[in-house]
Amino acid sequence: MKKLFFYTVLIAIVVISTILTIALLTPSKIIPKYSDDKLRELALSKGLKPTPTSFEKLLEIVDSQENPVTPQKIALGAELFFDTNLSKNQKTSCATCHSFDKNLKNKKALISTLEEKNQKLTDCAACHLQDQSGVDRFTFSEGDSAVPHPYLLNTQTILNSSLAKYLTWSGEVKSIKEQSENSLIAHHKMNMTPKEVEDRLGKNPAYVKSFQEVFKDGISFENSAKAIEAYAKTLITRGAYDRFLEGDNEAMSHDAKRGLANFISFGCKGCHNGMSLGGQTIERFPLRKFAQVYDFRPNLELLPKIKRIDNEFPFENSGKFLGKNNEHLFRVPILRNVTKTSPYFHNGAVPKIREAVDVMAKHQLGRHLTLTQIDEIVAFLHTLEGNIVEYDMKDYK
Amino acid sequence: MRAIYIKFLVFVMFFTGVVQLKALDFAWEYFRTIQAFHIIASLIITLFLVTPFIYQHIYKFFFIKKVNSINGWLLLLIFFLLTISGLYLFLAGNRGGDTFGIISFNVHLYGSFALILFFIYHVLQKQNVQLSVVAMLFTILNPALSHAATDKLSLIETDAKTGIYHNEDFTNSAKCKSCHEEIFNQWSNSNHYHMTGSNPYYMVMETLAGEVEGQEFRKWCMGCHNPSALTTGLSKTTHPMQGNIVSDELFEKNAKTLVESFKSQGNFRLEEGVSCVTCHRITEAKGKGNASFKLSLERKKYAFEDSDSGTGHWFSEKLINSNPDAHKKSYMDPLYKQSKYCASCHDEFHPKTGMKIVSTFDEWKKSPFNNQKDKTKHKTCIDCHMTNLKDGKFSPLKGTSTKGGVLKDDVKVHYFAGSNHFLSGLKSKTNEEQTIDLLKTSAKLDVDIKNGILVIGVTNVGAGHHLPTGVADFRELWLDVSIKDKNGNLIFSSGKLKNDGNIEDGSRLFQKVFGDEEGKPVGLLFWKYKTLLSDTRIPSGERRVESFAIKQDALYPLDVEIKLNFRIYPQWVSDAVKKVFPTLPNPPVVELIKVIKEFK
Repeated sequence: MKKLFFYTVLIAIVVISTILTIALLTPSKIIPKYSDDKLRELALSKGLKPTPTSFEKLLEIVDSQENPVTPQKIALGAELFFDTNLSKNQKTSCATCHSFDKNLKNKKALISTLEEKNQKLTDCAACHLQDQSGVDRFTFSEGDSAVPHPYLLNTQTILNSSLAKYLTWSGEVKSIKEQSENSLIAHHKMNMTPKEVEDRLGKNPAYVKSFQEVFKDGISFENSAKAIEAYAKTLITRGAYDRFLEGDNEAMSHDAKRGLANFISFGCKGCHNGMSLGGQTIERFPLRKFAQVYDFRPNLELLPKIKRIDNEFPFENSGKFLGKNNEHLFRVPILRNVTKTSPYFHNGAVPKIREAVDVMAKHQLGRHLTLTQIDEIVAFLHTLEGNIVEYDMKDYK
Repeated sequence: MRAIYIKFLVFVMFFTGVVQLKALDFAWEYFRTIQAFHIIASLIITLFLVTPFIYQHIYKFFFIKKVNSINGWLLLLIFFLLTISGLYLFLAGNRGGDTFGIISFNVHLYGSFALILFFIYHVLQKQNVQLSVVAMLFTILNPALSHAATDKLSLIETDAKTGIYHNEDFTNSAKCKSCHEEIFNQWSNSNHYHMTGSNPYYMVMETLAGEVEGQEFRKWCMGCHNPSALTTGLSKTTHPMQGNIVSDELFEKNAKTLVESFKSQGNFRLEEGVSCVTCHRITEAKGKGNASFKLSLERKKYAFEDSDSGTGHWFSEKLINSNPDAHKKSYMDPLYKQSKYCASCHDEFHPKTGMKIVSTFDEWKKSPFNNQKDKTKHKTCIDCHMTNLKDGKFSPLKGTSTKGGVLKDDVKVHYFAGSNHFLSGLKSKTNEEQTIDLLKTSAKLDVDIKNGILVIGVTNVGAGHHLPTGVADFRELWLDVSIKDKNGNLIFSSGKLKNDGNIEDGSRLFQKVFGDEEGKPVGLLFWKYKTLLSDTRIPSGERRVESFAIKQDALYPLDVEIKLNFRIYPQWVSDAVKKVFPTLPNPPVVELIKVIKEFK
């Protein structure tokens, strides 16, 4: 008996020591380290692209036969985009929700709001206008007379949307023109009818003149949407990421580069692809079935942490939206400027970018990222931040 | 067979206990693992192995073999005491406040030595020690123990000035609440918590600074207001939302939003602003202002302290309570009692021009409160700003800073009473009273009429700095004067509010007014300060005199009513902020002193 005990203890110690020795001697997993140039090559080979630097190059990408983009049309579109007269109560313009300053160089939006007696800005816009995010920063969108979206959907950014194949959360809209028309007549947005739009535009001599210059058939509901589309197509942002892809190794920090490598190798870029990093496909969310019901975290706790979450989504689905055809199908959101457009997901249920990255990794990739990996990816996403490019159209005819 | 097993285990428990002795000063990395191991193993071993063994052992020898060993009975008694004291230490802890904790600790400590002595004696009766020695050696040399002690997370070397911290390096203040609830609540309603997202004035000013001076400039503000966000590499301060409206933290008691956010996200979501850890992990303070401190987050953490599971959290608290020395040392430093510690933020200069914007610490250094010769008259920041007030007088709070902790004569309260009664008062009446009580101790009024001139003297008797100090361009301290003649007609008045809420022109304000390069008032953009347009603040211990001429034909006796009023923000500042935060109420005017006097 005594011997048996002695040997049991001895064997146990030998086994434990061996296991620990193996753990100590085994080299840690080699994570490929990319040099800056290799990383750039990899990113470009996977279809990631910088946004165009000149107006001509932009047109090569976004111009179309049905609605050719011209500087005059862009100017008209800009007027319409910021015109509150296009909403029923004359309080809402496109830019109310897709918020940024009409004058991109304006650095005095807040101070003029604070100093002026009769200010027109909404309280949130006063501070957030300088973000140039193209969203209202609300959890769910509110239209004219503060009518909430029936599905409590979060406003998506209009910036870079011309680079996407599909638009809106369900991805059922194919062009900005179509979505402009939808927004003008939707009850929970501008709340107009095509006729009302044409009537109001017709009363403004400046519009009558510029519509006639731009379109053969003058003012029409469709033409106003076309002009807005032309303008929206020029709303492109550039950030440090673009400079990196174009050859500037200093543009991105070490963490951000690791984040980009992770972004590619973990599979994020599988859906968030193209120049816009998203908007090219419609995908299922959440993808992993196990994750629909439980958030199971395999860790070395005393008790494993198991949290039951919403059946439909890994967060509360406040507006009951279930995607295209109620099949959990969503357009992949554009990641450019994502760090400026919190809160996240279709109903804005997730307030912080790190939490959003965590949800995506868990439920779309089935990966539990380490905290460092999350931080690195967030650092990469920050390099996608950028202000709207003011393209020089002088030389263009 | 079983006896050997038990011997082995008893020695395991003894050694893992002994290495926790303070005198041995065991490396923290080993300590934290062994402490947790000691407790878990003790529970399992006593419950499932030792207790049944003792029962069988007694049955076998006392009842069947009829051996009556006094030594054996003593051993049982000590074992019993050790188990009870150990359970007490684990479940209630040795927090310093209850005698049972101290008794348990000593019983556990000395009892274990007694147990081992009696145990060896008891065992030696059977001349069978070789295996126990072998077992002891194995315990000490067991590679599992030494390996588990290297935990990479807590070996991270970071320095706030160069490296970037992780969210997880911080400890959310809501976590401290479970043991320090009283202090958590004081702080959570104080201005030290409401310095970022829940402070409309700050949010507007930071955004404005970013807009006017470039987004990078926000970092200047964030150094003191939001050190956690700045050291984790964030570029601006954010505020939580509730649906489409800004979260109503402005009116919310005991940091409800923070507690809920901690419950759902743990440390994964960063707590922005000045948290428990951002002050209590400052290891060096230069006292130069502009956040000149070193925030060192590398500290001794007990096993499971970072666990985000409820059980782990509960267990780590038990580990801390059972032996809280390391915890106390991690979060308390003699530095925290010195004024230069506070000065690392309560002094402020422009990062480029070097213009002094706030110089509270400099004012204190020159004041009679900084008395290095007579220590009894020397008063530091915390002697006024962190001492409890009752009925308008300093009345050090007797009590504990931890649930069940040591009874202290002067618990440093975390209301951080200063002058901003308004924002903290929206959350808690107690916080508001503490601040107003403190404000009222600051000044004295004297009134006289000589040769038809009303002379009012205001003396700064209670503050170890100018009155007002801090952002003295955004503070209003002024004289409200009314004089009525014999017939009760108002013949003179000064310092009344206009209809729009601003103080009427010509009033006597104690303040400084900043001018920009061209000598124009800076308005909201206080960092543009280049020239001092006026400075009527009252230095510590000094008296400032204001004179008002009275009409010569006034009918005596005169009824003179004088008030020393204070308002935390001028109306024009609140008006500007309200454009962005419409729910913000107007700060009230606080009457610090009122004197009514009749002159014949």
